[in-house]
Amino acid sequence: MNALNQLPLNIAAAIRSLFGDPHSIWADLTMDIISIILVIVLIVLAALILILLERKVAGWTSQRPGPNRLGPHGWFQTIADALKLMGKEDVTPAGADRLMFKIAPMIMFALPMMTLAVIPYGHGMAPIRLNLGIVYYLAISAVSTLALLMAGWSSNNKYSLLGGMRAVAQMISYEIPLVFSLLGVVMITQTFNLSQIVADQHTIPFIVLQPLAFVVYLIAGVAEVNRAPFDLVEADQEVVAGPFTEYTGLRWGLFFLGEYGNMTAVAALTTTMFLGGWQGPAILPGYVWFFLKVGIIIFFQMWVRWTFPRIRIDHLMGLAWKVLLPLSILNIFLTGVGIYIYQLIVPRIGG
Amino acid sequence: MFGKGLFTGLGITLKRMLGPNITEFYPEEMPNLPPRTRSSMGLDPEKCISCNMCANACPNKVITITSEKGESNKKVLKSYRMDVGRCLFCGLCTEACPTGALHVTQQFENAIYEADELKWDMIERAGKSRGRGEQA
Amino acid sequence: MGLERTEELSLNMGPQHPSMHGVFRMVVTFDGEVITKIEPKVGYLHRGLEKLAESRTYTQFIPYTDRLDYLSAPHNNMAYVQTVEKLMGVQLPERAEYLRVIFAELARIASHLVFIASTALDMAGWTAWTYCFRDRERILDLFEMSAGSRLTVNAMRIGGFNRDVPPEFWPALKSFLDDLPEMMEEYFGIFYGNEIVMARLKSVGILPKELAENLSITGPVLRASGVQYDVRKAEPYGIYDRFDFEVPVRYGCDSYDRTLLRLDEIRESGKILRQAMRDIPEGPVTAKVSKIIKPPAGEVYHRVENPKGELGFYIVSDGSPKPARVRIRSGTFINIQMLPIVALGWKIQDLIAIFATLDAVLGEVDK
Repeated sequence: MNALNQLPLNIAAAIRSLFGDPHSIWADLTMDIISIILVIVLIVLAALILILLERKVAGWTSQRPGPNRLGPHGWFQTIADALKLMGKEDVTPAGADRLMFKIAPMIMFALPMMTLAVIPYGHGMAPIRLNLGIVYYLAISAVSTLALLMAGWSSNNKYSLLGGMRAVAQMISYEIPLVFSLLGVVMITQTFNLSQIVADQHTIPFIVLQPLAFVVYLIAGVAEVNRAPFDLVEADQEVVAGPFTEYTGLRWGLFFLGEYGNMTAVAALTTTMFLGGWQGPAILPGYVWFFLKVGIIIFFQMWVRWTFPRIRIDHLMGLAWKVLLPLSILNIFLTGVGIYIYQLIVPRIGG
Repeated sequence: MFGKGLFTGLGITLKRMLGPNITEFYPEEMPNLPPRTRSSMGLDPEKCISCNMCANACPNKVITITSEKGESNKKVLKSYRMDVGRCLFCGLCTEACPTGALHVTQQFENAIYEADELKWDMIERAGKSRGRGEQA
Repeated sequence: MGLERTEELSLNMGPQHPSMHGVFRMVVTFDGEVITKIEPKVGYLHRGLEKLAESRTYTQFIPYTDRLDYLSAPHNNMAYVQTVEKLMGVQLPERAEYLRVIFAELARIASHLVFIASTALDMAGWTAWTYCFRDRERILDLFEMSAGSRLTVNAMRIGGFNRDVPPEFWPALKSFLDDLPEMMEEYFGIFYGNEIVMARLKSVGILPKELAENLSITGPVLRASGVQYDVRKAEPYGIYDRFDFEVPVRYGCDSYDRTLLRLDEIRESGKILRQAMRDIPEGPVTAKVSKIIKPPAGEVYHRVENPKGELGFYIVSDGSPKPARVRIRSGTFINIQMLPIVALGWKIQDLIAIFATLDAVLGEVDK
């Protein structure tokens, strides 16, 4: 089991040993390129699996089998859909801001790549080790607002514009409880480094110490990636498809990939911060534990999506500013009190 | 308490998620339609007496019949055409038929590629479905 | 210059928009997301049914009435057929009268199920939508086995029915009625009881009692504004005066009460169906009418309580086998005129919800 756990690290060491000096700049560069390719593969694979899983969950909740024609139980359906998207005509609407229109989906796709690169997938398996991992993650994920606004503005479509405006209002509001809910964990661990945070959870995952922060983060995370019941940005009953209305073919596909990538990223950060990341009983390798936990979070998001109707925009704002923000501040306060009491007691009982 | 409704909803969907599927796998499993279903019209040319009652009952003039006088001055059916593109599938023609020659059938796969195929020659169709051994 | 000027946004919603029922179109003016003006435009589904009636015989027009409010076709059949019978003075056999009530109330349940489904869907409640359609399927199966078609039922004829229902109809109907309370509990759990739904619908789109009466709103929309008016009670047609049922009324005047009222009506329809099933006598289902319908010259107006509002037929006969003039008074065509008044000042999401609670079917609006 230990061999399986260490397998990725051993492969990495073997590749490095191909170079004369295993820590030369060329070895580092090769390893970085391999890591980035792996992250891209991860996103594409995640999107392929998650899109199908989403449709399966949608089917199961409404007593249908979901896609079931292509491959065993329809598991190749997304591949066929992706091929179909590639065959579609690429339409740029008249009067569009062509440059922005074309950049927006690329940004949307690039963001989860950048955020997923700092997540520790196993012991010593973070593609990029950053001491300011959390800050970097939050900074990058906030940029997706910009991508949606660019798409909404440049499409020269009123529905797109309404959707883009909603995206800005919603995502900027939800950044704040999102960040504040993570602060409690940072206060306990005294570090922004994601690998260190996971290592600190080897006795107890932080969901036990920070249940309130976990709930706030889960809700704000769903809102941050624009999924139901907070999918106002692409609410098809109101604004057709929001910023994506005018997109066709692979550009639309990139948005879709980006969306599922973001969903994976939020679930990965939840796992890292609250569920103990790759820590788990030694019956399974660490990275398997990690992806299992991510899968559970994503399944929960899907389950919620296919149960709840969409919330209204003013209630959405009210929820962010009047409920989640006070709760996360309360959590910071409680965490501070807890740490103070801990520091008072532990030296006295000889801990 | 706020949130009770949300959890009830989650419980219902979870129950349905774990429960059985009720999908009908249509092309593999054909639905068993009741005998009154008005999916197509079928003609029994031997029974038809060319009385033109069906054509008169039709709200949309879908049916055109030509006949000629045979031996002993009885009308013999020559051609029976339906312009199904205009058909409402209301079944008034089958109700009007005095001999039961025109009847509804449960053959519902009527999708076609060309607009011309909407003009059904009922005598020809009757022969075809007999050739397949079906009840016309 | 900078941001010194703000502008209102005028948005064309429909006829092709994901949440417009059928081909309804509105030109909406927004200030941000707040509605300042709505212009409903109807007529994209206009087929000239009233004119078509003048070139069809009385019987031949029955299948066309299916296409009015296509979610409750038996009601349209019944309204038209009863109008002609009123003109001719036909007395129906008992069994036919009971069967008509059964068909009409089944259609009311089916139509309200589609209402719940589409309202949920307009708020992105996809799963609630599938549950309602799953249960509506059982009613459509009942229609199919007895009349031969699921949507455009074309069940009734002038003078009753063309044939009796098959024997397997009764056990299927009974099992449906037995399952009805459980189904309604499920709808309540997944849709009505959900806090998000309540927050989105409660005190939204207030239609005050006076306004509702002045606009001559009918049907559940009127009753949710606190007016106890139902044609089945106010001017009983058929044999509705024999049944013991309540006319549900709610006083909230808002979208949530309009939605909840439909659930109450499903419950009352279930009650009527049980009584009809218990009391239905054996016997013929067709009255003695001649094959060629020729009503005496004259004119007649008759109305029934459609699931969506009051449906009336006005027929002028000149004694020939074809009507001289047919006029259809459809409930939703009149009900949607409240939309530009009531939805003002609400947001785009509320507009969708308010429009959903009107339960407009464009087949009936545009005729």
